[in-house]
Amino acid sequence: MNNATSPATTGSNQLHIELYHLMTMSRVLDRIIGEHDGHWHGLEGEEAVAAGVYHGLRADDVLAPHYRGTIIAAYAKGADLRTLLAGAMGKTTGYNMGRYRSDICGPAQYNLIGLYSGSLGPPLGYATGGALAAKLDGRDDVAVAVFGDGGSSRGDCHEAMNLASVQKLPVVFVCQNNQIAISTEKKNGVGGSVAERGRSFGMLGVEVDGNDVLAVHGAMQEAIARARAGEGPTTIEAVTYRVAGHFYSDAEDYRDPDVVDRWRERDPIRAYRSWLVKEGVLDEAGLNRMDEEARVHAQTAMDRALADPAPTAVDLAPELVFAPDTPREGERP
Amino acid sequence: MTRQTFQQACVTAIAEEMRRDRDVFVLGEDVGTFGGPLKSTNGLWEEFGGEGRVIDMPISEGTFVGAAVGAAMRGKRPVVDLMFLEFLALVTQQFGLDAGAMHYYSGGAISVPLVMRAKYGVGPFHGHAYDFHSWLQNIPGVKIVAPSNAVDAKGLMRAAIRDNNPVLFLEHMALYHAGRMEVPDDDEFVVPIGKACVPRRGSDVTIVASALMTKRSLAAAETLEAEGISAEVIDLRTIVPLDEETILESVSRTGRLVVVSEAIKTGGSHNEVVSVVAEQAFDRLRAPILRVAPPRVPVPFHRDLEKAYLPDAADIIEAVHRVTRHSIPA
Ligand SMILES: Cc1ncc(C[n+]2csc(CCOP(=O)(O)OP(=O)(O)O)c2C)c(N)n1
Repeated sequence: MNNATSPATTGSNQLHIELYHLMTMSRVLDRIIGEHDGHWHGLEGEEAVAAGVYHGLRADDVLAPHYRGTIIAAYAKGADLRTLLAGAMGKTTGYNMGRYRSDICGPAQYNLIGLYSGSLGPPLGYATGGALAAKLDGRDDVAVAVFGDGGSSRGDCHEAMNLASVQKLPVVFVCQNNQIAISTEKKNGVGGSVAERGRSFGMLGVEVDGNDVLAVHGAMQEAIARARAGEGPTTIEAVTYRVAGHFYSDAEDYRDPDVVDRWRERDPIRAYRSWLVKEGVLDEAGLNRMDEEARVHAQTAMDRALADPAPTAVDLAPELVFAPDTPREGERP
Repeated sequence: MTRQTFQQACVTAIAEEMRRDRDVFVLGEDVGTFGGPLKSTNGLWEEFGGEGRVIDMPISEGTFVGAAVGAAMRGKRPVVDLMFLEFLALVTQQFGLDAGAMHYYSGGAISVPLVMRAKYGVGPFHGHAYDFHSWLQNIPGVKIVAPSNAVDAKGLMRAAIRDNNPVLFLEHMALYHAGRMEVPDDDEFVVPIGKACVPRRGSDVTIVASALMTKRSLAAAETLEAEGISAEVIDLRTIVPLDEETILESVSRTGRLVVVSEAIKTGGSHNEVVSVVAEQAFDRLRAPILRVAPPRVPVPFHRDLEKAYLPDAADIIEAVHRVTRHSIPA
């Protein structure tokens, strides 16, 4: 753990409590959602990246999260958990009203950008556009664009980096490098370092230990501060590992279980817990209490979401596919 | 004969073509040791991986399809796995606009023998369902095939690999692992591109469909038979080039046409069938032509919405009732 961010220097335990909450909540959600959806893309092993990147963004900041981790990203941005889970279950009460999957498409109400057609890549352009809008309006909002090592091979990634660089846009590009894309190991899919690519496009590019939540959070805060100050984009490559299967019911016969076990030993939640105890932020009992609170909160939200109504044929509503001249009630302008 | 699923029939056809022709090779994301998305290349790595003829690609669709086009221009016969048809938007420039024009614009100097496989369709794999193939219908020089069963999948895959043009090969996910059929093993079994088939003969109405919609149309025809309505079902198998002859011959006999589509009603390739009949068999029609297709919304997520979205046998039957009730005397 990065000792530069000890409670003594941050002056408050609040940050640590919030980061830990996001991490433990993410772990709980993996299980609760995975039990109902075999296609759920879990985050186990990568919680430090999610918490470190998604914590502390402002309401007007634009966030295109990595598809894997969209729900925790939306939750970190203030979205309601029960509504998010209703969305994952396709219920009418979800932000997407059952029309689309909230596991890869977060609520636009919270300025999240999702995979609207399932293709990795285009959200990087949309986030760059969000930053352009902030610049045009003279606001100091930033845009955060997160993608996997696999997604870094899309032209959209390089093109967004280049555009953000030449226009000096307030974008933070984060590569959540979990070293695998479905079955394709990073060495077979990604040539060279993504942080270095950022540098080659003329921006700051940094690599951080993606299993160290404080290192990720620290790098993120610096990048955001620079972006808000008009100093342009940054690329952060957070190196971690996908301990979870590609999706919940993945047979995982394409990889060596020993590698997974070695990374499980580096579990970011366990590492953070030890640090929190050592630094006297919380003791084991306090951490266990936080785990239990997260579990109860998530389970209650899921139980309610499951009891929510499912859409029916009338909810197909083809008459609502075009935006009207004036906003409809219950819909965002 | 071997009992096979649609997926197995596709893989067998590719393996046989790879043995027959050293220029055939496979590329795409996770096509190697993983065995392909939804097992689309299962076993090919074991047999051909060592020769470097099964190549995993980075997530760079535009460029790896572009690379397949480039290799085809140099005489190779690539079989690209696009994973999902949703990604067609990322490769339309290379596969469609460019590859479709190359033979013609080069004055016939080159051809682009390229198969692009794409999974799609509302089914057990929840997500990536969009049926966007119709976009390509408007691009000259590209062929599109959409088999409805394992036998046609095998025969059409062979024909597609042997074809000297870019061919989009559609693999419907609801048909992919659903049930087995006796699939011919013999070396020369090929289903020609551009030939529809008539899996059910009838005299009162012609139903034209493809892929999963063929299955649903056949189920509808079964019910209609019990009611005393004799429906003929045409399975297009090839979307481009369209087998106009089979369609016109049938409609000339039945005088009624219902087209069934998984793509939305506006701008879907089924409209070409309607146009052909309106232009060439107008005087044989005894009722207005009806289209059965999803409404104009993106494919919805919740299972109940998805069900309401996709035409089923009941929707097809209703359309047939409408065209058989109101008809001009022959
Ligand atoms: C453009 C595009 N190509 C392929 C896919 C299919 N796909 C979904 S997730 C995935 C792997 C992504 O890997 P990575 O970006 O490293 O993220 P990870 O799953 O490892 O978190 C692929 C290939 C897609 N969604 N979009």
